[in-house]
Amino acid sequence: MRHAQMVAIIDDDEQVRTATASLVRSLGLATRTFASAEDFLLSPEQGVADCVITDVQMPGMSGVELQAALRAKGSRTPLIFITAFPEDRIRRQVTLAGAVGFLAKPFDGQEMIACLDAALAGA
Amino acid sequence: MMPLAVAHGARSALIPMLAALLGIIIFLVDTLTPLDMAVAVLYVAVVMLLADVLTRRGILAVGALCIGLTTISFFAVHNVRFELEAVARAIVALSAIGIVTLLSLRNRHSSESLRDQAALLDLTHDAILVRDASDTLLYWNRGAEELYGWTADEAVGRNTAELLRTGFPISREAAAVELERHGRWEGELRHTRKDGARVTVASRWSLRRDAQGRPLAVMETNNDITERKASQDRLDKAQAELVHVTHMATLGQLTASIAHEVNQPLAAVVTNGEACLRWLRRPSPDVGEALASVERMIANGRRAGEVVARMRALSRRQADRQETVDLSQLVRESLALVERELTRHHIAVELDLADALPVVTGDRVQLQQIVINLAVNAVQAMEGAPRPRRLKLRTRALEWAEGEAARLDITDSGVGADTEAMSRLFEPFYTSKPDAMGLGLSISRYLVEAHGGVIEATLNSDRGMTFAVILPAAKEQSL
Repeated sequence: MRHAQMVAIIDDDEQVRTATASLVRSLGLATRTFASAEDFLLSPEQGVADCVITDVQMPGMSGVELQAALRAKGSRTPLIFITAFPEDRIRRQVTLAGAVGFLAKPFDGQEMIACLDAALAGA
Repeated sequence: MMPLAVAHGARSALIPMLAALLGIIIFLVDTLTPLDMAVAVLYVAVVMLLADVLTRRGILAVGALCIGLTTISFFAVHNVRFELEAVARAIVALSAIGIVTLLSLRNRHSSESLRDQAALLDLTHDAILVRDASDTLLYWNRGAEELYGWTADEAVGRNTAELLRTGFPISREAAAVELERHGRWEGELRHTRKDGARVTVASRWSLRRDAQGRPLAVMETNNDITERKASQDRLDKAQAELVHVTHMATLGQLTASIAHEVNQPLAAVVTNGEACLRWLRRPSPDVGEALASVERMIANGRRAGEVVARMRALSRRQADRQETVDLSQLVRESLALVERELTRHHIAVELDLADALPVVTGDRVQLQQIVINLAVNAVQAMEGAPRPRRLKLRTRALEWAEGEAARLDITDSGVGADTEAMSRLFEPFYTSKPDAMGLGLSISRYLVEAHGGVIEATLNSDRGMTFAVILPAAKEQSL
């Protein structure tokens, strides 16, 4: 039997992190949660995550900077962005850089599932 | 060698020739004819003819020449036989020539100093004009020629106000009264140039009176400040825009911060809800996970409520800067802040402010904001309305249900509002103007109510409308 695919969830808000993880687990996927982009980059899961769901605005490294850092390392892990304050400028920027999704909080569960399907289809 | 002549040109070349011819004729008649007359007296005509075109030294030379010619003629005709009559005639002629020469010299001196003074006036960059008691132009310097475009020949003799289409800050009469009373006036005037362009000048007038004290002439010095005014206006406009942009930016930041604060718990609620449904809909529902999700939903709902409560507490704390405020005084302070706006829109302000008003308590800046918002609203309502545009502010003491109060009425002569607009005036973002945000009146109502007062709008019987603000008096009045 194949291992469950793993989704890394990065958000500085613990409640959002936990809720998102619960939703992703309900789909039968494994999750790991991180309070910051730095924590994720330093963790062993960084190389094995099949998909990353990340907040945009966070203290320290932002979601956008995380995307740049991953690309610089040659990582091809698909990214889904979630934000409490969606700005078109950032949406365009991360989409151009290859993001699978850009969702405004509170996001729609179906939309998140569609993004996850798209992200994990190639994995 | 000093020059003998001062002017050149066709006219000045003709005059010496005429004078020389006249001198020769007089000399010939005086010497060759036996007329018993003081023909030599006519030499004065030669001196006078040349007085305008010669320097002082030249005049002196001509006078000496005429005296010399007279003397030569005398000795030629009378040889050495001196008849008393002839000698007397010669003395009269010589005296006349001498006197005219001296007078010409003095005249030359004073006209030279006048010319020097007038040349000095031409050196200044200011436009200097002199006009008589009936406003007819007497003098127009080079500065005036440059500023307005008319030459002195074109301008002198014209009526000043007609020629320049003068626009006065208050009225022509007010300036005349001031000039009559103090002998001087200064202020900003609007003038029209020959090419039709309008200029703004800083103008100073000085009145010259005759021996009986009657106004004789007015000297007006005008300094072109059009460019300075224009840049000042641009600066003011930029500042107003900056205030607007800052306001919008603050609003934008506030919105972003509220959005973030509220959206986080909302996101958690929604996501937990979605997760809960998924756990329950699984082929074998996971009740434990579902229950945990519901508990988190409740916790996050409470958290959203706390965020809202925190924001309300924040705005209450800001409103807590209480001080006692005199409404009449507040109106004066606030109007000073919108004075330029009122002047720019040609609005006449009428103040009817009560002296002994019950004081109100509140945040002075917020109360000022109410008056400013209502005044600006009135200005906008009068934009495009026929003149006169009047803004009337009236304060009165008042007894109402809650006790003493102070009332402010702000009346405009603007376009008013239709029934639908009247019912929606205080709604946020409701506006009849394309470039306005529609927040002024809603903010005013919010601030008035935060101070325990009421605001209402009524249409005037003639035109425009009146906003009435009633604020309760301070409870513990220390008087």
